[in-house]
Amino acid sequence: MSELLRLEGLQVYFPVRGGAFDALARRPRGYVRAVDGIDLTIGKGEILGLVGESGSGKTTTGRVVVKLTKQTGGRVIFDGQDVSSLWGTKALRTYRRRVQLIFQDPYETLNPKHTIGEFVGEPLDVNGIATSRQDREERIHAALETAGLRPAADFAARYPHELSGGQRQRVVIAGALVMDPELVVADEPVSMLDVSIRTELLHLMLDLRNERGLAYLFITHDLAVAWVLADRIAVMYLGRILEIGPAEQVIRHPRNPYTQALVSVSPSPEPPAEGEELKRTILVGETPDAAHVPAGCRFHPRCPLAFDRCRVDEPPLVEVGEGHQAACWLVEQG
Amino acid sequence: MTAPAVPADGGPGAVARPAGRKPSVLRQVLARPDGMAGFVILVVFTVLALVPTLLVGPLQTAVTATGPRLAPPSIGYPLGTDELGRSILNLTVHATRVSMVIGFLATIVTVLIGAVLGIMSGFVGGRFDAVTMRIADFFLVIPTFVLAIILTAIIRDVVGTGSTEILGIRLSLITIVIVIGITSWSSTARIIRSQTLSLKERAFVDRARVIGAGGGHIMRRHVLPNVTNLIVANAVLVFAGAILTETTLAFVGLGDPFQPSWGQILDAARQVGAPSLGAWWYFVPAGVCIVLVVFAFTLLGNALDAVLNPKLQARR
Amino acid sequence: MTTPDGVASAAALAVRDRRRWPLPKLADPTAPLLVVEDLAVRFRIPSGTVKAVDGVSFRMDDGEALGIVGESGCGKTTTALSLVHLLPANGTIKSGRVALFGIDLVPKTEQQMARYRWREISLVFQGAMNALNPVRRIRDLIAEPIEVRLGQSQDAARQRAGELLELVGIPAQRGTAYPHELSGGMRQRAMIAIALACDPAIVIGDEPTTALDVMVQAQILQLLERLRRDLGLSLILITHDLSVIAETCDRVMVMYAGRVAEEGPVRRVFMAPRHPYTQKLLSAFPNIRADRRTLEVIPGMPPDLRTPPPGCRFAPRCPAALPVCVEIAPSEVRFADGVRVACHLYPASDVAPVEPQP
Repeated sequence: MSELLRLEGLQVYFPVRGGAFDALARRPRGYVRAVDGIDLTIGKGEILGLVGESGSGKTTTGRVVVKLTKQTGGRVIFDGQDVSSLWGTKALRTYRRRVQLIFQDPYETLNPKHTIGEFVGEPLDVNGIATSRQDREERIHAALETAGLRPAADFAARYPHELSGGQRQRVVIAGALVMDPELVVADEPVSMLDVSIRTELLHLMLDLRNERGLAYLFITHDLAVAWVLADRIAVMYLGRILEIGPAEQVIRHPRNPYTQALVSVSPSPEPPAEGEELKRTILVGETPDAAHVPAGCRFHPRCPLAFDRCRVDEPPLVEVGEGHQAACWLVEQG
Repeated sequence: MTAPAVPADGGPGAVARPAGRKPSVLRQVLARPDGMAGFVILVVFTVLALVPTLLVGPLQTAVTATGPRLAPPSIGYPLGTDELGRSILNLTVHATRVSMVIGFLATIVTVLIGAVLGIMSGFVGGRFDAVTMRIADFFLVIPTFVLAIILTAIIRDVVGTGSTEILGIRLSLITIVIVIGITSWSSTARIIRSQTLSLKERAFVDRARVIGAGGGHIMRRHVLPNVTNLIVANAVLVFAGAILTETTLAFVGLGDPFQPSWGQILDAARQVGAPSLGAWWYFVPAGVCIVLVVFAFTLLGNALDAVLNPKLQARR
Repeated sequence: MTTPDGVASAAALAVRDRRRWPLPKLADPTAPLLVVEDLAVRFRIPSGTVKAVDGVSFRMDDGEALGIVGESGCGKTTTALSLVHLLPANGTIKSGRVALFGIDLVPKTEQQMARYRWREISLVFQGAMNALNPVRRIRDLIAEPIEVRLGQSQDAARQRAGELLELVGIPAQRGTAYPHELSGGMRQRAMIAIALACDPAIVIGDEPTTALDVMVQAQILQLLERLRRDLGLSLILITHDLSVIAETCDRVMVMYAGRVAEEGPVRRVFMAPRHPYTQKLLSAFPNIRADRRTLEVIPGMPPDLRTPPPGCRFAPRCPAALPVCVEIAPSEVRFADGVRVACHLYPASDVAPVEPQP
């Protein structure tokens, strides 16, 4: 599978403003290390599930890929070209046509004052894509129908408040598809929807991948959804990837203790058997904030298996299986 | 960000999604008693402003005045006469146009400057925002009337006091329009800027960026339509304030005696000593008109606020 | 609808004996903890009347955890809120009986409800940030119901608040914090402490973990489980998340469009679902422990509850719908394994579970 997106050592630090002294000295008090050096690849037509809890940096990563947030370090390579410093150039336009974003909140992503048609057509207008009014309309209708909204002409004339949550999210998808992108970053696209609507949209996204070869960076906190959809899964914690590999490997044979804990507490609709005690590793406390990243392995304060080395050195990602990598000193030792 | 909440169930009509638009804002405003009252009052005054001659004859001047001087209300002169023998009713009705037009023009100028600067400031941020807001602060802090008086004197020198007219208003009064515009734009700008700041963070603006829209496009197509409601609500109050400012400026002698506004009438009444002479009919009508119009605008502003704000909350 | 048996079991009574405070004066000591019969709730909206809850019955015993599951608009939250008369202004309980220890709460006035609300039945909402008063300290928020409803002194209330904080896993010294100073998980624990302030018999959790990360959710569910065991607490857990119910509840009630589709022990209902809606719901849920990575789709949408269809409300979307389903609402049938189903596929209690249709 050829490579579509590559992130190398991606770093996003946000300055924390200090008091008067710091302002005078023109330096921030500290940094929020939202993304702290990650490497990632997505192949053409591949679905990569980026999994993590709040504060993991997964949303920020997504924002960097669609260039809503600027990285402070590292490289972004798209289809063989370095696009890290594309800001404010004409080439940025081209990039945006090929990489799109599906947002999480279908109620917020649509401007209440615009019709559905205006929403879906806006990318065409901004980028001067359509050749005529007819062409524009055809493209809009095609996108709406691909997203499952029929009759397209009917929907195009409506306003967001007339649509249900599921329908709105389909509109968002249509809006992302209208420029025929190759990579879609989907940030929790179904978490605000009901169960049955969720599955419809996940099906839609899968179909789009199968029919159009669309690749996804699928960001979610829900391991079960990632399990169902993703080809490969990357687990993020406090700005770093602790484990990455084929979904089957990461979920069934996790090698990093954080991944193991996450998998063990992810609930399933199969109730435990009579008398069966679920082996759940429930971690203590919550993810620390990214302005105070622990030294050594950033997970060590909460890790049930931490030992001396973990407090001092940060483990790198090492191969633990076919295409499967994990960052943990326990793994190093075999 | 933590996983977001699933919309709570069981609310009324949580399942059905009505098709079609809600009744227009105007209709909703008129459905309310305060909206309707304000609207009716303003309609009355608009009619008075549009066709004063039709209702009370041409504006009486010292030359064409035929009534007794400072006479109390009578059959022939329902609101009495002034010291030149002019009918107060005639003067007051004609003054409506002046006051309303000045108010209207001043509002346009204020809102235009305030909205444009407010949106740009809020959206662009950075140094432009800092500089603009410092200037706005300057205008906010300086006592309005002091500034107005000074500015009027200065601008009058520039514009002149000739008898050319725009929209039936003499050039001298355009001065007042400009002055009101300069002194009032800053609060509008601040309000619009606040709204822009919060709009800037909303997902649909992010989405516009992601598809490649530039700042101008976003300000025009995403910010502006969503601050229009605020602009209108604010404009209504600016209008009321403009009328009051004009009144005060005229009252301190900065108006134009040849084109009476309500403030002018009040000033003339003061100069003649009408209050101590007991000639209440001289200033009460103009005063009542001012109060009514300002009240009407406040009612409308209230109704608009009530109609527009719940919409912001009822998203689902 | 059939009425469940009218007497509490010995196990339930044993749990009941561990109460801190005496039973309400009007209580029948042998009656089951909670019996809801034929509950009907209506909402008046400008465009009509929404029959949000239409004939819901269930029973709870002391120390039990009941999960109520369904999609948006199925009436699960409305059902819970109506138990304690916390419906919005346009909602009314049209008919039905809510018997707490045999005392019918439906006809009670606001004043009379004071004895029951929070002291016998309390609530934990989702999105704790919105439910906690941001200008009051956590300790005071917990102490308030103790002072107001139990008439305790401020000192005694503060003391008890400290104990409750420890009970939910918040160090007592953090009691002086304001809600915004706490993390999401801590806030939810604080909400639970407030709900426990008057030592209620039943705690209703309305999507209590939906807005939380999966690890924090696991912590909260573990806490609820421990409280159940140690305090003899009964729990009604309302959620759309089947997997949470599967792992924490004893019984589950599946609601659809204001009615009960299926109800019974969790293992029975989830492992061998009878009602087609339950089957579809289960297969539409991502299951991390399943081998096959597929999801099924439930086509269509729930009905408009202003004008619900006369027959079974799921009929328009049901793959196994029979002609009778559209016309006549199915009545409830109770099976030997403790499951109740309302579905024409099961006209009598000797019918085996019908396999899911493709």
